[in-house]
Amino acid sequence: MTHETKRKIEGFVALFLSTLAAFIGLFWLIFILGDVLINGIGALHLNFFLNDPTPAGVAGGGLRNAFVGQLMITAFATLIGVPIGVLGGTFLAEYARGKKLSQIISILSDIMVSVPSIIVGTFIYALMIKPFGHFSGWAGATALAIIMIPVVLRTTEDMLSLVPWTLREAAFALGAPYYKVIIQVVYRGAATGIFTGILLSIARVAGETAPLLFTSFNNNFFSMNMNGPMPSLTVSIFQYAMGPYDDWHAQAWAASLVITLFILLITIGGRLILKWRYKL
Amino acid sequence: MTDNIALEIKGLNFYYSGDSLALKNINLTIYEKSVTALIGPSGCGKTTLLRCFNRMHDLYPKHRYEGEILLKGHDLLANGMDLIGLRSRIGMVFQKPTPFPMSIFDNIAYGLKLKGIRKKSELEQRVESALKHAALWDEVKDKLAHSAYDLSGGQQQRLVIARALAVEPEILLFDEPTSALDPISTTKIEELVTLLKNDITIIIVTHNMQQAARISDWTGFLMLGELIEFDATEKIFTSPSKKLTEDYVTGRFG
Repeated sequence: MTHETKRKIEGFVALFLSTLAAFIGLFWLIFILGDVLINGIGALHLNFFLNDPTPAGVAGGGLRNAFVGQLMITAFATLIGVPIGVLGGTFLAEYARGKKLSQIISILSDIMVSVPSIIVGTFIYALMIKPFGHFSGWAGATALAIIMIPVVLRTTEDMLSLVPWTLREAAFALGAPYYKVIIQVVYRGAATGIFTGILLSIARVAGETAPLLFTSFNNNFFSMNMNGPMPSLTVSIFQYAMGPYDDWHAQAWAASLVITLFILLITIGGRLILKWRYKL
Repeated sequence: MTDNIALEIKGLNFYYSGDSLALKNINLTIYEKSVTALIGPSGCGKTTLLRCFNRMHDLYPKHRYEGEILLKGHDLLANGMDLIGLRSRIGMVFQKPTPFPMSIFDNIAYGLKLKGIRKKSELEQRVESALKHAALWDEVKDKLAHSAYDLSGGQQQRLVIARALAVEPEILLFDEPTSALDPISTTKIEELVTLLKNDITIIIVTHNMQQAARISDWTGFLMLGELIEFDATEKIFTSPSKKLTEDYVTGRFG
């Protein structure tokens, strides 16, 4: 066998294996998304969005309470997590730039990103549920916020680091104090990137079930009281999917479809913004 | 003679950290309303010296100055020097254009707003005069609200000069302002510098000797952190008193 044919065979094998791997990955992805779409779309009707759950066996139940609960928990998680994440990232990229402390926090927060979310859930359970003796929406929001913080913190840090250092020097050279340089110049330069990071972190927590199971738990009734247990789509999916009724299963499919579409929209939105900002 | 002195540098030593001496015993006088060029091979300390004048080194830890730099009789290296005030008296233009991520108008207004000017009419008037001063007004007057990134590199550099001029500094520092620009933009900046010296003092670091010869009145030649020779530009380029200077300006090394 000549060198040339050997190399051709090697090239072909590499191409074949990597294409195969790509198609195996794609197959399962399309399978899951397709399954959710086919099964979910059937149960999607107006009642599903407008009605609260009905007792088992009574037709016409929906998940209005879970939609509202999910939105409230996610919104408050964003309100708690985003400021902490952005300010923390600012500290790392600006005030502690190049210092050992900054590197340590960066590594710790990378570890935090991959900590199983159920651990965050049990942690908040011990901190905010056990002492008070009841589940609460606030605890759910806090648990999600804790998951968001490292994501937002790291993207903020990365995006701020991408702003050229000379831009800061130029602002200093005009006589600007550091906090004004950061707020007026650096944040503007990194705004789109930070905003995208926030969107992606919302997408990340919107699909979380485990941390909510231990904190906001669930509620079969409509509730806007963050001090009590609150329903959410993900926990409802978990409960309905485990339940014995066909109607519940259908609603769990529909809820899965809705939440998948929600995350898809946020992710596409985030990517479009990035593309619009950095490629044009 | 003393009233037309803009800066007087006396026995200046500069350390980036610990014992690494970057500038050795610099003595130099910068005259008002003139252009002083600092030339020398890469790493000779010309940019380091320039950045002493607005205390840019203070942004980084472990730096150390020794000696004096007198600005109107006051040592600007003194402890407790108001750096924010200093930097509005001594402006700086960098090698690469550094427009801020905002509109053309807001770029120019930035330094003015830092100074506490809020009145819209005054801002408009001073932005216009700064842009006219930097010979950019005619090119941008219809698109002041556009992003500064829409401008070409040469226009961006003139925008940055206008931004520095808007706060009416006494001295403007240029750190190789044309090394990232094409020849036409370079000519425009050089013409602008020559024009500006009617009003302010200019110190320019350049690695382009022809540029120094074209636009400066005074030239300082640095090597390995030392000021080898300082004199009228014509003298430096025609009959320098040091052999080293002659070798450098005739292109024998560097």
